Amino acid sequence: MSKGFKKVLSFAMVFLLVLGVLAACSSEGSGTKDSGSDTGKDEKTTVEFWTISLQPTFNDYFNDLIAKYEEENPGVKIDWKDFPYDAVQNKLMTSIASKKAPDVVNLNTVMANQMASKGALVDFNQELTDEQKGIYFEGIYNSTLQGEGAYALPWYTGIPVLYINKSLAEKAGIDVNNPPQTKEDLANWGKQIADKTDSFGYVFTMETRSILEEGFKIVEGDKAIFNNDEVKEYIQGNIDLIEAGVIPKDIPAFDKQVQLFGSEQVGMIISSSSFINQLKTASPDVYENTIAVPAPVGKAGIRYTNTMNLVVPKQSKNVDAATAFAHYVTNDANQLAFSKAANTLPSTKEAAKDEHFYKNDGTLEGQALTASVESLDKATDFYLGIENAGDVDSAINKHLQNIYINDQDLDAELEAAEKEVNDILAR
Amino acid sequence: MGKKRTVGFSRFSEVQTAWLFMAPGLLLLALFTFWPIIFSLPLAFTNYSVIGETSFVGLDNFKRAFSDVDFIASIKNSLLYMIIVPFIQIISILMAILVNQKIAGIKFFRTAYYIPVVTSMVAVAIIWGWLMSSNGVLNYLLMSVGLLDEKINWLSDKDTALWALMFITLWKGLGYYMMIYLAGLQAVPTDCIEAAKIDGASNFQIIRKIILPLLKPYVFFCTLISLMAAIRVFDEVFVLTSGGPGNSTLTSSVYIYQQGFEQFEFGYSSALGLIVSFIIMFFSIFIFVFNRKGGVNPY
Repeated sequence: MSKGFKKVLSFAMVFLLVLGVLAACSSEGSGTKDSGSDTGKDEKTTVEFWTISLQPTFNDYFNDLIAKYEEENPGVKIDWKDFPYDAVQNKLMTSIASKKAPDVVNLNTVMANQMASKGALVDFNQELTDEQKGIYFEGIYNSTLQGEGAYALPWYTGIPVLYINKSLAEKAGIDVNNPPQTKEDLANWGKQIADKTDSFGYVFTMETRSILEEGFKIVEGDKAIFNNDEVKEYIQGNIDLIEAGVIPKDIPAFDKQVQLFGSEQVGMIISSSSFINQLKTASPDVYENTIAVPAPVGKAGIRYTNTMNLVVPKQSKNVDAATAFAHYVTNDANQLAFSKAANTLPSTKEAAKDEHFYKNDGTLEGQALTASVESLDKATDFYLGIENAGDVDSAINKHLQNIYINDQDLDAELEAAEKEVNDILAR
Repeated sequence: MGKKRTVGFSRFSEVQTAWLFMAPGLLLLALFTFWPIIFSLPLAFTNYSVIGETSFVGLDNFKRAFSDVDFIASIKNSLLYMIIVPFIQIISILMAILVNQKIAGIKFFRTAYYIPVVTSMVAVAIIWGWLMSSNGVLNYLLMSVGLLDEKINWLSDKDTALWALMFITLWKGLGYYMMIYLAGLQAVPTDCIEAAKIDGASNFQIIRKIILPLLKPYVFFCTLISLMAAIRVFDEVFVLTSGGPGNSTLTSSVYIYQQGFEQFEFGYSSALGLIVSFIIMFFSIFIFVFNRKGGVNPY
């Protein structure tokens, strides 16, 4: 082999190596099922539709839905892609940054609100008629309300219910046939369980939304208004419950909640339907001994959902077609069909009336499904209706944790939280 | 330098060959490390959010950073995290001395100590999370031997959470630094040690007066990289506490990530990144200067 040829060969090998590595870094086609773009043979509008972690489990449902839609709308072609939960937000941001935004995107409410506050999403209050908007539960539809605009169409949802350990409740002398209706009832039950058993009463998530559940306002205009005697009194009540051993002094992540309830260290827990599967696996005995009822409400009379939504990025080149398709996916009939396929709850009023949700077969799953669908009339998703809601939320969360867990002074922490929120609102 | 090789790449100098082999790595570094660093400099003076309108904001991001209580708390925690640096050096040097013995089965111990290094930090964090939970093995053991009266939520208690995370970082990093020190120990000339033994030096004297001075370049290198790693700690904090409870475990890297990828404040997070980079640079220069002046004198 000549020396010159060796030199060329070496360079070629290095070049190929670099090319190979860079090709591996390319995101095109990785983890998605891109059906390719239109070749323009029949001038169809292509609507790029992104979902989160629904392939391959629900391929049949979506393929049928898309086929039906394309049949009803011959000028439209739906290009469905699916991304993992962790990747979708970054993927969307980079697509928007590179001016290749998709048309319809599945996002949770937090992400949708964040994108909306940056002016990146289409306002459905401008795009839809009152009749079209009226199909959704108002509380859930308003979850992405910012000023006059609403930036997401609610899709499938889940609403936490109250799980009660029957034997602990009975040991505490509580009648499980009359479950707690309000947060006050829940605290009283919790006290009884803590007094009469070796367990905590219930798990409490020390979040900003807990203040909203009691009907207190966080902000008004561009001012924080939560640093007042009523809120302090409410927080002090929770501190007393922690000190009395009614609430564990902890921020239990989901797996830890399962652990606490599954090992009977806590008598009651407000959690989602996915809690059941975890509990069934971790503690079959406790699963057999648990009942589900609608979650008690605070003074505001609301229950928070965990909703998945569909949004349309402002950059979409087919806003009308995208809006029409997003509304089609989230209409009564399709939400009901998806709820049956995926064991979720619909966010539309008519779909929620279907008998499918009321066939309580006595199992914990059946009880939870009925309890949660009955809760939908009071459903809302966490929102503040302001820009930088995420910043405000996390700022207050941190100070609440300082109060509840880090034993910091209530007055000083609320004052610090108020200042921080005012700074965020002044940006 | 520039010397022609006689076999293989005969028309390449050694330098050219070296560059050729480094090229793929350098190209990737340029694309995914140097370019983002350079790109983040102008970003720090804007309100860039990827998806919204971008405008120049001057020094606003920096002003905001210095009045941001969360950022200040994160810097304090990151600086506090540097406490683990001397512990890592001392323990890993001792471990290196231990595994440098010529005894049966020593390779097993070297491998065992190194396993945490090659284990994913996320997996390590989750396992330690279980061990340190209030019903975990750690509480059980400590209560069994009477060191604890009641259960501690190691990762949810503001007084213990940061220390627990530091311990996890220490535990995972020891094997890595041990290997570097082991390489250093094996480079210590045996004739020096034998001469010292003939002169009647004890093992302790040999370590203090011969081994440690000869390990100085390794100590300098390990101190520098472990200090940088301590300030930039991310994985274990993000997985186990996300900075909570309150701000008690919030480190600068986690806060920068939260501002960028959760709040879309990329301009602000770039400014924070620059500030943290300057802090790291300051400590690095300090260590360089300290080392040039002789460093710690063990004898």
